[in-house]
Amino acid sequence: MAQTNEPVISVTNLCKCYGDVKAVDGVSFTVGRGEVFGMLGPNGAGKTTTIEILEGLRKPDSGDASVLGMDVTRHADSIKQRIGVQLQSVALFPRLTVTELLDLFGTFFAHHVPTNQLISDLDLGERAHARSMNLSGGQQQRLSIALALVNDPELVFLDEPTTGLDPAARRSLWELVKRLQAEGKSVMLTTHYMEEATELCDRVAIMDHGHILEIGTVQELIRRRFKERAVFFDSSATLPAETLAHLGGVTRASQENGQTVLYSTDIPGTIGALLAAADERGVEPHGLGIRQATLEDVFLDLTGRALRD
Amino acid sequence: MNTLLTLTVANLKGLTRDRAALFWTFFFPVMFVLLFGVIFSGSSNSKVAVGFVDLNGSVASRGVQTALSGDKVPLTLQVGTLDAEKAAMQRGDVSAIIVIPSGFQDSLSAKNPVALQLYTDPTKSTTSQVVQSVLGELVNNMNLGLAGGTALVSLKPESLSSTTLSNIDYLVPSILAMALMQLGVFAAIPLVEQREKGILKRIGATPLARWKLVGSNILLRLIVAAVDTVLILGVGMVVFNVQITGNLLAMAGFVFLGAGAFLALGFALAAFLKTEEQANGVVQVVQMPLMFLSGIFPFDFMPEFLRNIARLLPLTYLGDALRQVMVNGTQVAPIGVDLAILVGWLVVCLGIAARSFRWD
Repeated sequence: MAQTNEPVISVTNLCKCYGDVKAVDGVSFTVGRGEVFGMLGPNGAGKTTTIEILEGLRKPDSGDASVLGMDVTRHADSIKQRIGVQLQSVALFPRLTVTELLDLFGTFFAHHVPTNQLISDLDLGERAHARSMNLSGGQQQRLSIALALVNDPELVFLDEPTTGLDPAARRSLWELVKRLQAEGKSVMLTTHYMEEATELCDRVAIMDHGHILEIGTVQELIRRRFKERAVFFDSSATLPAETLAHLGGVTRASQENGQTVLYSTDIPGTIGALLAAADERGVEPHGLGIRQATLEDVFLDLTGRALRD
Repeated sequence: MNTLLTLTVANLKGLTRDRAALFWTFFFPVMFVLLFGVIFSGSSNSKVAVGFVDLNGSVASRGVQTALSGDKVPLTLQVGTLDAEKAAMQRGDVSAIIVIPSGFQDSLSAKNPVALQLYTDPTKSTTSQVVQSVLGELVNNMNLGLAGGTALVSLKPESLSSTTLSNIDYLVPSILAMALMQLGVFAAIPLVEQREKGILKRIGATPLARWKLVGSNILLRLIVAAVDTVLILGVGMVVFNVQITGNLLAMAGFVFLGAGAFLALGFALAAFLKTEEQANGVVQVVQMPLMFLSGIFPFDFMPEFLRNIARLLPLTYLGDALRQVMVNGTQVAPIGVDLAILVGWLVVCLGIAARSFRWD
């Protein structure tokens, strides 16, 4: 985490409308050199629009955005030489092979990494002469990232890099992102997945309806919202959440995904009171457990809905 | 420049690895030539079938019959009664009926005016003209002979072009025009597909200049146009002995201009189409009428209202120009007009595409 000197991305009051819809509405943030910065939010939150403005693919309506110290509207071509871009779910020229695609994209840049090196870095050796249409989902995604690295970029944009991948492929992509950071590259990524943001990102921004709601490290965001921890159990009609909100130490009670969750500043007191209340009604709470708040809780608290709704 | 070529080669690889695209761009036009060549070369006899009704049965009427049956006369006589020939005309077996009236010889002897009757089919204006001109010449000669004069000036039917132009000669340039139209219009489909799949956007995120992306697409199609031209003309020349007489430079010029004009149409279409399915449908809706209404099949065979429609379509002028420069065919419009219309079409379509094309 070498967040020194000037930021690689600096955004101030950025706005972009599509007709009446404010896709990005007054967004500001910075990303430091060497940082992995995550943007979290549901579909339609404005993540992709923001990232595409930074990539020089869209023009902002107002506000300032600079990448690597250059204004995105005035120096798009110079910026494109020095950034790597992976777009959401792109099928590339389907009938070209992995090698041909990497060679081709290399010619678009002033200087580029040898194709062999990219193929071995991204573990595509066995598929080097396969047409891109015949690759598996994980291989396609690795190719897509290899193409983003073809110009040895200082800053890499990854738009939902692991959406649709199986857990093993997702893990291997996480390793890759960590390797990029170790090589000194800065990364900005968007994701739906809380565990991905928690695992990879130095800092995250939570975005919804075109606004950034919170920015910080994952731990900061959790601590900022939740002084308390949570007691949870499988929801039961005889123990409705409303009747438990006044139990000792409970600050808030809610229903989430079939579970009743009691947020509490006094876990032993709350559990004691809960068991007593259950005993009184002749039932036993099933699936009882304790956990610390997660990024998911932060998101739910901020937006009133779960991320994948 | 290097990038432009690399990208063109990449596009070319994509095309040659796609069997369906290969079929439509290269084999389909060749099949078309072979198919139509076989259909039309069978009836290379371009004589017009005409009913002949002799109500006189005299020496004079048989003389007319003999005169009209000569080798050089572009008519095939089918002799019968008036009713039988009218029925034949209804069926389309004959295109006109010539009737020698019953008092023909007597009137000639008495030097009284007498008229040969000619029934024609108004939907076949060209063949009617052929029959009328043949009869006109015959009547003139007879009048001269009867008046005791010598025909000092006669018309020797030396064909300038159209009579020796067999159907296949006409069809090869027409099919070439059709193939050029199709390769241009069909170019809309991969373009829409590349946009729909985000390929255009992905390339937009690299420093590659857009003109190179467009340029490589144009270059690819012009290469295809050249290959198609060689294939179609080659099959026409080798299999059907088509004579290419015109100026090769002018021909190449019109081939590339035509490909460019219809490519511009393809780009303009792609500007308004959002999905590949949509593109597949709309491209067919555009190319079908172009193909059938633009005189790919000889212009003269069309009824008048279709000819008027054809005059509005750019493919008519590409076909016309190619026929003029390749086989010296009869013209629909002067070559300069063909040129102007194609250039105009190219400019307008490119303008529309440049204004409206979306990259994502």
